[in-house]
Amino acid sequence: MTVAVYLPLLLALPLFWAAPRLTRGGSPALAARALTAVAAVAGFATVWSLGLLALTLLDDVPPLRTLDNHPVLEPPEPVPGPIALVAALLLLGGAARLAVDLHRRLGTVRRLRAVGRPRAGLVVADLPAPMAVAVPGRPGHLLVTTGILRLLGPRERRVLFAHERAHLRHRHSALVMVAAAAAAVNPLLAPAREAVGYLVERWADEDAAAEVGDRDLTAQAVARAALGTVPTWPALGIDGGVAVRRVRALAEPAPSPRRGRLAGLVVLAVAFTATMAVATIAFVGLARAWL
Amino acid sequence: MVTTAIGAALNWVTMTKDSRRAPGTLEAEVMAVLWQGSPAAPVTPSDAQAQLGDLAYNTVQTILVRLHEKGLAERRKVGRSYAYWAAQDAATTAAAQMNAVLTGRADRQAVLQQFAATLDERDMAILREHLRNQA
Repeated sequence: MTVAVYLPLLLALPLFWAAPRLTRGGSPALAARALTAVAAVAGFATVWSLGLLALTLLDDVPPLRTLDNHPVLEPPEPVPGPIALVAALLLLGGAARLAVDLHRRLGTVRRLRAVGRPRAGLVVADLPAPMAVAVPGRPGHLLVTTGILRLLGPRERRVLFAHERAHLRHRHSALVMVAAAAAAVNPLLAPAREAVGYLVERWADEDAAAEVGDRDLTAQAVARAALGTVPTWPALGIDGGVAVRRVRALAEPAPSPRRGRLAGLVVLAVAFTATMAVATIAFVGLARAWL
Repeated sequence: MVTTAIGAALNWVTMTKDSRRAPGTLEAEVMAVLWQGSPAAPVTPSDAQAQLGDLAYNTVQTILVRLHEKGLAERRKVGRSYAYWAAQDAATTAAAQMNAVLTGRADRQAVLQQFAATLDERDMAILREHLRNQA
């Protein structure tokens, strides 16, 4: 088999490098969408690539192997057996991680929905810990504790509601879930998953700032909510610097799209798709040689 | 009859004028204000209006009545008008359910899209400084 089948695996590397850099400015909405799309293609390419490599294991099935002795049916460039085996194991590992991740995420959403029946798009839980969560669904609702309602001032609460509603309106949970699924099948995409998680927060901050018409007020609400968070809780899967980065980003003027960097992502996605096509053609050629 | 219709129309006009907000956010914001009160210290419509800042008195009043009709707010007469506080039952049930979500497994928290993540000491200092500068 040609070298093309290995290329989709290598192409996740530039994304490993590019994802954290995409969080440093520009429009978070555009970056989040583009990064999720490219990560999805990369994740799909990984499965495709590993799947093709693993399928060559069938070469070792005795009835097929007898065919190999026929000179005309010799595969052009066979995949070494150990590599095919490693590919099969990686594929199985990825499938297992994907199943665990999806189960955990969907289970959490189900439990959050069960917390209470939303009225006026809102469920209030009488807890001192300041928390606010956008519970995805159709139409989805907000879940807030009395702790955060008391912590924030009336204008800051408007920011909070606008922020959480932006998560629901733009289906951020779906974006995060897709990026997480891609990272489950290819660990090189983990930085892309983290970046998408951060970018949707920035996106919701920008939406909230536009809705209330006050960037300083938005930064103030983010800072106050972060300071009120009970520090004994585990770090919620995001590094502690997130709130500071969000506050600093809001201190700058509203971002404009940076199309240059997105063009790079598009090139990457096209490259993925092209190598997947080449790999498929190579595989079909091999399969026809077998049969 | 006619006055009710005019009143409703006026309310509608004032509400559309006021809502530079997404639909549905007003009720949530008023609910949030009611959580500042308690049965002992209920919130009057003018208190609520003062907190919310940019809403007409009539708008706040209409929403309070609606919240009361939905069973989300309780009220009693204070002077000549009603004063309101948030109905506790649903929130107490929700609190128990939410505790179950949070204490169940640590990895569940990792997938919550939180408004704010937890901080280390250095971050806390930076954010405190930021709030001081704002004030």
